[in-house]
Amino acid sequence: MTPTTQGAIVLVVTLLVLLSGAPVAFGLGAISIVFILIFQGLDALHVVAETFYAGLNDFTLVSIPMFVMMGAAIGSSPAGKDLYEALDRWLYRLPGGLVISNLGACALFAALTGSSPACCAAIGKMGIPEMRRRGYPDDVATGSICAGGTLGILIPPSITFILYGIATETSIGRLFLAGVFPGLMLTGVFMLWTLFIIWRRGFRAHAADFRYSWKQKFESIPKIAPFLAIVVGVMYVLYGGVATPSEAAGVGAALCVVLAVMIYRMWRPQQWWTILRDTTRESVMILMIIAAAVLFGYMLTSLYLTQTLAQSIADMHVNRWVLMAMINVFLLVCGFFIPPAAIILMTAPILYPIIKAAGFDPVWFGVILTINMEIGLIHPPVGLNIYIVSSIAPDVPVTRVMWGTIPYVVCMMLQIVILCVFPEIATWLPDQMMGTTR
Amino acid sequence: MGAFIRGTRVLSRLCGYVAAGLIAASVVVVCEMVFVRYALGMNTIWQTDFVTYCLVAATFVGSPYVLMLRGHVNVDVLPHYIGPRSRWWLAIFASLLTLAFCVTIAVFTFQFWKEAWDNKWVSDTMWRARLWIPYLSMPIGLGILSLQAIADLASLLTGRQPPFGMRTELRS
Repeated sequence: MTPTTQGAIVLVVTLLVLLSGAPVAFGLGAISIVFILIFQGLDALHVVAETFYAGLNDFTLVSIPMFVMMGAAIGSSPAGKDLYEALDRWLYRLPGGLVISNLGACALFAALTGSSPACCAAIGKMGIPEMRRRGYPDDVATGSICAGGTLGILIPPSITFILYGIATETSIGRLFLAGVFPGLMLTGVFMLWTLFIIWRRGFRAHAADFRYSWKQKFESIPKIAPFLAIVVGVMYVLYGGVATPSEAAGVGAALCVVLAVMIYRMWRPQQWWTILRDTTRESVMILMIIAAAVLFGYMLTSLYLTQTLAQSIADMHVNRWVLMAMINVFLLVCGFFIPPAAIILMTAPILYPIIKAAGFDPVWFGVILTINMEIGLIHPPVGLNIYIVSSIAPDVPVTRVMWGTIPYVVCMMLQIVILCVFPEIATWLPDQMMGTTR
Repeated sequence: MGAFIRGTRVLSRLCGYVAAGLIAASVVVVCEMVFVRYALGMNTIWQTDFVTYCLVAATFVGSPYVLMLRGHVNVDVLPHYIGPRSRWWLAIFASLLTLAFCVTIAVFTFQFWKEAWDNKWVSDTMWRARLWIPYLSMPIGLGILSLQAIADLASLLTGRQPPFGMRTELRS
């Protein structure tokens, strides 16, 4: 059997198994074992346990539970509420100030937690009811929070970038830096679109009937500033080459837990357990997928499937931008069905050699891939953020939330096009701060 | 059957506590490592290995707890859009696949651990840790994961749990 036929069989079976609803980690693991057994025989199975273990035996992976814990500590505290209030109290007089507050709070909370669902839930809980109370259309209120939540995986620190960095052996610090300007730009594009659409519908959002005092304006800042300082500190340590991502994240996690306990008086064991439980749940889920994805990658490589696919694409002699468009469509379709962590770990090792061979910057591609994953988070049929927002505003029909997200999907596609035309938006900052690699 | 399911859930919960403790210990040790390395300017010997082993152990030992919470992500598009009967059969298939993988990998990792034990393998780092200790987390964690997978399958077959945890029927 030729590698191409084998590859087609593996692809079809993988899709069927994933669509069956089996956990991604166990599905990938089962497929790997079955195909190693079928194509390489019983003897080849002796490497399974070692490969499964080796997938996790890497100090860089320690950064995942540490960053997850940072996010869990902040996410389980009322920091999101304070952040939202602080921005709202400063910006409420501006036309559309509430939209800017919401999306700005999403961007800042993204920097604090690195998690899209956490960002969506934390800001959405305050933002959506407040926007609806002040008369914003339902689709704008819910759609903007869905979109704002996705910034969590683009603005550093981001678990998505860590996974991509590990899967492709790309510098995590460089990836984090590459996400800064595209993340800020996307936040700006979201704000502009939202302001435009509410202006077009004749909605003039300014609060004429109430005022916040200076005391109220400064009230929340002392609670939020230390968390932001920790994140900035972690970034500085990372980029300054002072410590590894795992060390920086470990100290950052410990400091965030200490701050959450001190500022928000989270003394009760139940509150501590909530942080640890959320950290364990998300970390174990991601790490099991990593272990299974390494086994899956081993199976693909040992059957020469990765190499065959890369060679087939090279033999097509298509224009590199046509290739990039095809990869984007592929990632978008994957993103509609499969969670971001699984897509990155399954596809990055396959796409990486193709990207390199076509002369694209892997760091830049990491940003493009992440924006594709963001689209999947707010696009049906899976669209995790849509369901989170629906649970916050159960009286808004899901279809209305979905329609509300469509303009933001277009904004993200536009951002991908802009990044293709001006890749420096992503690569300039890492090149300036860490030196060029090309 | 009820006693087995309840007992397995208690065991899985216990695994969750152990995994959470291992992650918490990792954070403390990373902080200690940073302090020793950057504040005291001394070399660290065991910390990197210890933290990595804790992470591996937390993953395998914590896995049954996460399975019990339905925290291992899956693609649930198809289950959402098909009828209740097809969904039930699909859940049976997904559960059997999960169980088959868990049992297989538990057996393989037990053999791997046994090899490390018999041959007295040690790590190739300065710490020279006996590898059977970190490897032990694999057969233990994946063994309990298999029990949890059996408990989940039994819950599904006896109607204690709806397929894919979807209580609301989309189609009647």
